[in-house]
Amino acid sequence: MKKLTAFILSALLAVTALTGCGGQSSSSEASKDNSSSQSATGDWSYIADKGDLVIGITYFEPMNYKDENGELTGFETEFAQSVCEKLGVKATFQKIDWDSKEVELNAKTIDCIWNGLTITDERQENMGISTPYMENKQVMVTKAENADKFTTAEAVKGATVVAEKKSAGEDVAKGDEFFKEANYVSVDSQAKALLEVKSGTADIAIIDYVMSIGTIAEGTDYADLKVVEGKDFAKEQYGIAVRKGDTETLQKINDAIQAVADDGKLDEIAKKYNLQDLLLVKAK
Amino acid sequence: MNEFINVTQQLFKGFGENCFIFAITLLLALPLGLIVSMGSMSKFKPLKWLTKAFVWVIRGTPLMLQLFVVFYIPPLVSNGGFNFPRMQAALIAFVINYAAYFSEIYRGGIESIPKGQYEAGQVLGMKKSQIFFKVVLMQVVKRITAPIGNEIITLVKDTSLASVIAIPEILMNAKDFSMEGLIWPLFYSAVFFLAFCGILTLLFSFIEKKLDYYKG
Repeated sequence: MKKLTAFILSALLAVTALTGCGGQSSSSEASKDNSSSQSATGDWSYIADKGDLVIGITYFEPMNYKDENGELTGFETEFAQSVCEKLGVKATFQKIDWDSKEVELNAKTIDCIWNGLTITDERQENMGISTPYMENKQVMVTKAENADKFTTAEAVKGATVVAEKKSAGEDVAKGDEFFKEANYVSVDSQAKALLEVKSGTADIAIIDYVMSIGTIAEGTDYADLKVVEGKDFAKEQYGIAVRKGDTETLQKINDAIQAVADDGKLDEIAKKYNLQDLLLVKAK
Repeated sequence: MNEFINVTQQLFKGFGENCFIFAITLLLALPLGLIVSMGSMSKFKPLKWLTKAFVWVIRGTPLMLQLFVVFYIPPLVSNGGFNFPRMQAALIAFVINYAAYFSEIYRGGIESIPKGQYEAGQVLGMKKSQIFFKVVLMQVVKRITAPIGNEIITLVKDTSLASVIAIPEILMNAKDFSMEGLIWPLFYSAVFFLAFCGILTLLFSFIEKKLDYYKG
């Protein structure tokens, strides 16, 4: 009988806890409703009112990653912090699932995407994209012993090529004449593409050059992989994405980027991460 | 060695999130499931059909999709006016999902008790509620221990799904290491799940032994 009473009591407790949660969230709903009615005047005032720019990121070296002390660092992290300083708002980093970045942006759970986002026509149609600030390209990564082999279309014939689905690498693998005779397999992330090559289930991974800098360096599990020299594909540019139609925030971010470049700060940050050759925004 | 300690720490941190989701989901979904099962056995037809439809929707759609719905639909509809915090959204989705599954297990358990048990109670002049709580319920508990245990062990692993709304749980942390060039943490994370499920398995065989004296 005691057990039963305990069971029923815990059930009651759970129900009150549930309704308690409900009450809380509905009150926060009311307070947030005010801010959303203000946001009708413009997205920037919504961000300025909050006092912080919520930046959607994923972790990857050298853009955004945790250092030995568990602190977030990286080129994009420091760059975003400098830009936010100019904007007079706090930079808040929110880790997201990259596949859901557009939903996150539209749901206002983040205010911008700033994580080595490749500028594409499709993205320019659906989001507001800043001035391109960095160049990137697609490179072939393969086992070190094969790095000299896969330099011609002939050698690539019949090889298994992997890339992240919906990525620039996939466009190269599917569209470039060079890979016409190769077998293409899509995987769900660039890291997975490297894992395929490492484990031997694929011969070549096509990934971002920027990602290859941090990921296949000495001392990592991928140290036995190598970028195939002299074969670059699909030069592309990185931009920051904000909500579609929000020209005010976009303009402010663009101005702030230029200001950070004029200070020489952008160069400084890029040098720290060995990315200075890829920078597109120069001091005026 | 340093690297191993660092990875273990990060994974432990992530697994804390999994354990939190696990604990809260159980605490709320187990009683909520009983309430739902009462609804689906109700003699009041509209309530019965409503509950059945609820169970159908929840069991008929992927939990991953439910997580998306709970987290993204409110802000999308209100234009960013309101959203649950990520963890709260995950808990809501998990509790509702598991309550639906639990409710069917409860229903099966309750309906498996022979009519004679109720009749015996009536003969002794017990009230309906007395019959349910004093005669039926503990027999049900014994019968459903195994299937509930099954669901609970599934829940341990399902908690990883929370990563789709960017809750930094263990698999997400492990995947981050692979972005930094470390592959083994991804596979190492299995140890955490295995250990946790191992403990649960032992716990359930202990509970089953303890319940052995209720001869159904």
